[in-house]
Amino acid sequence: MPRSLRYLINYVLLILLALFMMGPFLWLLSVSLMPGRNVFANPPAILPTFIDFENYVQVWNFMDFPRYILNTVVITLLGVAFNILLSCLTAYPLAVFRFKGRNLVFTLLISTMIIPSATAMIVHYLTIQAFGLGNTFLGVVLPAAVSVFNIFLMRQTFLGIPADIRDSGKMDGASELRIFIQLVMPLVKPGIAVIGLLEVMAFWNNFLWPIVVLDDPQKYPLAAALTYLNGQFSYNFGWIAAGTMISVLPIIIVFLFTQKYYMEGIAGAIKG
Amino acid sequence: MYKGIRSETFTAWAFMAPGLLFLAVFTFWPIIYGIPLSLTDYSVITETHYVGLDNFARAFQDSNFLISLWNSLVYVLIVPVIQILSILMAILVNSKIPGVKMFRAAYYIPVVTSMVAVALIWSWLLGNNGVVNYLLLKVGILSEQVSWLSTSSTALYVLMFITMWKGLGYYMMLYLAGLQGIPTDLYEAARVDGAGPVRLIVHVTLPLLRPHILFCTLISVMGAIRVFDEVYILTKGGPGTSTLTSSVYIFQKGLEQFNFGYASALGLIVSVLVGALSLLVFRLNRRGGVNSY
Repeated sequence: MPRSLRYLINYVLLILLALFMMGPFLWLLSVSLMPGRNVFANPPAILPTFIDFENYVQVWNFMDFPRYILNTVVITLLGVAFNILLSCLTAYPLAVFRFKGRNLVFTLLISTMIIPSATAMIVHYLTIQAFGLGNTFLGVVLPAAVSVFNIFLMRQTFLGIPADIRDSGKMDGASELRIFIQLVMPLVKPGIAVIGLLEVMAFWNNFLWPIVVLDDPQKYPLAAALTYLNGQFSYNFGWIAAGTMISVLPIIIVFLFTQKYYMEGIAGAIKG
Repeated sequence: MYKGIRSETFTAWAFMAPGLLFLAVFTFWPIIYGIPLSLTDYSVITETHYVGLDNFARAFQDSNFLISLWNSLVYVLIVPVIQILSILMAILVNSKIPGVKMFRAAYYIPVVTSMVAVALIWSWLLGNNGVVNYLLLKVGILSEQVSWLSTSSTALYVLMFITMWKGLGYYMMLYLAGLQGIPTDLYEAARVDGAGPVRLIVHVTLPLLRPHILFCTLISVMGAIRVFDEVYILTKGGPGTSTLTSSVYIFQKGLEQFNFGYASALGLIVSVLVGALSLLVFRLNRRGGVNSY
């Protein structure tokens, strides 16, 4: 088959698939830019005949977006910080130390993967209430402060560090903690970036647990506020479309700028 | 040497202590505490009694629970579909043509977007007067409007479709990583032996992707049984019980009706089921084998 024909077939397939995967978002963008148009009009509004940011202005004024964005940012930063710290600390010995109980820890970690999240959520709810953390951001963040997945991902990264580094640190008389902080951690920045990004996405998009923990809708993060908006204004599609775009854009932008690391990290999650 | 290991043991546990403490409270504790809880009628409203295995006996007579289990099993049917489509996608985006990275990113965007946003968008697209009906009517596939999400016979499949659509990019990336790990000379050798594109995929690509297929199948089986967000946002299990999946039912019993004891029993039953299914996947892929990362 001539090369140009192969290219052509490839591009046709790639574009069709792109329409399938991106189409719904492009259509949402289009609806959000058409004030006063009902998405259920007949025929449905698909392409904007004019562009107007009125929906954005109105929904921004109606909903306290700066507050929801701030809530989301606080929850996300807390969650990311906990995850980076805890998964690095936990993964490091699993990668480099030889110690008693290592296999036990592995078995425990892997066995956690079968519990349905709905069941865990019930006990989390009781635990958070018992700690007096109901209706707090900390209560939102703590149940997801460290994940087995991140521990495995960081372990993979630590395994890639030459043993000489630790030995040379020991020769100079540095403590294990100092070796970890000053010699090892700077070398695993790409791995940290990956779990950081994964958690940014996870916390930014989380909606259910925040609704369960937070009694006060003023404390909701964006995704949770969106369900609230949808419940209240299910007739005002333009507003909800604009609100949805506002909540989705930051994470898509973060992704587009960091996709290289992100995708390498996802790929590194499994080693065949 | 022995002393060295002993001090390493101490240091290792000291490093792991904070992380393990959190895992103990928020990952192990829910598994352990779920067991005694499932033997009680604990709810915030009334006094708690030990009820033995009553919750389990009740569960197997609870037709809604049995329906929810069945729906969860039906949901697992998306697993092979996701695997096949995402492997094909990965092969497509593995070609070295200009701009292909842009397409990879585009396919990944549904993965990073919140399920709330994705669910809202699809609920409009699939509405009675929505774009999907409009297009299908226009090309003549449908002869009348279908209210996809409020018809018992279609709602579950529509939710499965949305789950698949959102997840495809994720699995595509995992398979792409696998494809890029396959040495190109293997393909060349096969080509020299006269293998066409289909035979290359069947005899070179798929066998070498085996570990990836096992991993992806496992996580998508678990994901399918645990599915919650899209169902909860879009149908809450309805119409009737047609989309009631086990996670949604457990959530309703537990965090909406505060029947913590009963909900824990249901959760345990589902955990056993997930464990059994995972074992089954392992068995089916005997020759694969998951490297513990």
